Amino acid sequence: MSGFDVQQFRSQFTFFQLQPDWVYLDNAATMHKPKAVTDAVQRFYQQQNSNVHRGAHQLSQRATTEFEQARDIVASFINAKHRHEIIFTSGATAALNQIAFGLMHTVLQPGDRILLTQLEHHANIVPWQLHCQRHGIHIDVVPLNSSLQLDLAAYQQLLLQKPKVVSFSHVSNVLGHIQPVQQMVAMAKAAGAITVIDGAQGVVYQQPDMQQLDCDFYVFSGHKIYGPTGTGVLYGKTALLEQLTPLLAGGEMIEQVSFVNTTFNKLPFRLEAGTPNIAGVIGLGAALQWIQQYNNNDLIQHKSLLLKAFFSGLAQIKGVDILSMPVHNAGIVALNVDSEHPSDVAAMLDQQQVAVRSGQHCAMPLFSYLARPGAVRCAFAAYNTLDDVNRCLLALEQAVEILTA
Amino acid sequence: MTLEQLLADTKPALQEIQTRDLADIQQASDWQAKYRILMQLGKKLPPMPEKMKQQEWLVKGCESRAWLMHYHDKSTDKHYFILDSEARIVKGLMAIMLCLVNGMSSAELAKFDLCHKFDQLNLKPYLSQSRGNGLTAMAEKIKACCPAA
Ligand SMILES: Cc1ncc(COP(=O)(O)O)c(C=O)c1O
Repeated sequence: MSGFDVQQFRSQFTFFQLQPDWVYLDNAATMHKPKAVTDAVQRFYQQQNSNVHRGAHQLSQRATTEFEQARDIVASFINAKHRHEIIFTSGATAALNQIAFGLMHTVLQPGDRILLTQLEHHANIVPWQLHCQRHGIHIDVVPLNSSLQLDLAAYQQLLLQKPKVVSFSHVSNVLGHIQPVQQMVAMAKAAGAITVIDGAQGVVYQQPDMQQLDCDFYVFSGHKIYGPTGTGVLYGKTALLEQLTPLLAGGEMIEQVSFVNTTFNKLPFRLEAGTPNIAGVIGLGAALQWIQQYNNNDLIQHKSLLLKAFFSGLAQIKGVDILSMPVHNAGIVALNVDSEHPSDVAAMLDQQQVAVRSGQHCAMPLFSYLARPGAVRCAFAAYNTLDDVNRCLLALEQAVEILTA
Repeated sequence: MTLEQLLADTKPALQEIQTRDLADIQQASDWQAKYRILMQLGKKLPPMPEKMKQQEWLVKGCESRAWLMHYHDKSTDKHYFILDSEARIVKGLMAIMLCLVNGMSSAELAKFDLCHKFDQLNLKPYLSQSRGNGLTAMAEKIKACCPAA
């Protein structure tokens, strides 16, 4: 018997009290924040508000302590070996840009290859493309199999070409499919590649363990795991972080400056130029601390209950084309209604106060592979209820009825 | 299908929207009724042949693809439009936009306030929505059809 009480969980989100009429299923875009997070951010601005790492006064020292405590919380949350392996960024996008930029010349040389997959978010494609094109580095792409899972046999073949870097997502932001990351990292390492995991959707599903996973980099955004927008984490193993050329320069990341030469500060500061998002990072720390009072298996179980109900409800609605698989799914369902454009379906759900996203979800290469103009995406979070599932199903039925009338 | 034919087919459809459907939309009792009408509007317009759907007619900043072709009859100084969209509700809304401006002179088009008109029709929320539906982009594209004064 699970001890998870969804109403208790949900009651900690002010949003649902103030907007009781909305069914929020756009969780893959951003999640709502519990009071623990909004309180932490507000408390910082109201009672502390000082810059970090530089003030001569106690307020700044306290802000620094809290900011650095957040680093400890993140390090322990993902079980990093060292606290300096946690770099705060503005989000997953910024982290991936830093990695792609930072590896050029130090690790990646003209003529090298890197490996991405067909279902990546643009944030894990375009930064690579941008720099690889300029430096003459070739990008290969792991294809999907017929059940829209990554084709591991093809992956193994592509690894024979000795890519120096392999970068893939933990969970697909469109389909919700959980990738076999542990296995993929092991395969890449056996081929001598550096591994990068885009955990933007994965981190909220399953608390990743850096020492067990043994990947070289793992990135995520705070706002997709109950934290504030404008926060993110770039985790990297020390030796690899040392090899990243900083993408941004200025402020605390510098040790010594002259117009002849500049030496950089040590990690993590070397990769954190400028004043960081202090309140945001403190909020992210609060989010991760808050979520850890719950047993993650309970949350996973609750979400799979919602998914099961949703999938069986969808089976009853005529003309629904489901792209996602119910197995190995982190809680995201991409679907279409017959030949209707997804934006029409989403607009009708919106009229019924069911918030979803439609379109290509920043994954155009996936949709050209799927040969579809896009999809409606219903992304469930642990605060969603069976009532949300039912209301979404009813709204979909209504949309189908009007569209096919 | 030639441009002339398409224009000839589109004109009466837009006229009908102007004279009949606008009132219905304004009086629609709930969103379901309103959306049913919007979807009908889209159907009234002749579809643009696939090969006419060129990049230059594409309305950018649109989650679903939409195309706007413009014809300026210089002898009478009147502007005519042809529209298509992948999404039916957006197409209906765009059709309303077009019926308001179809046949206008350059001077009329230049001073036409689309936002104000949409407001009167209780359709303003659709305009100010996230840019994703492309209506704002469509409005800009229509305005840009005005020859520079
Ligand atoms: C898989 C994946 N990667 C990267 C990102 C980019 O995250 P952000 O926009 O927070 O930087 C997202 C967000 O949509 C995502 O789903």
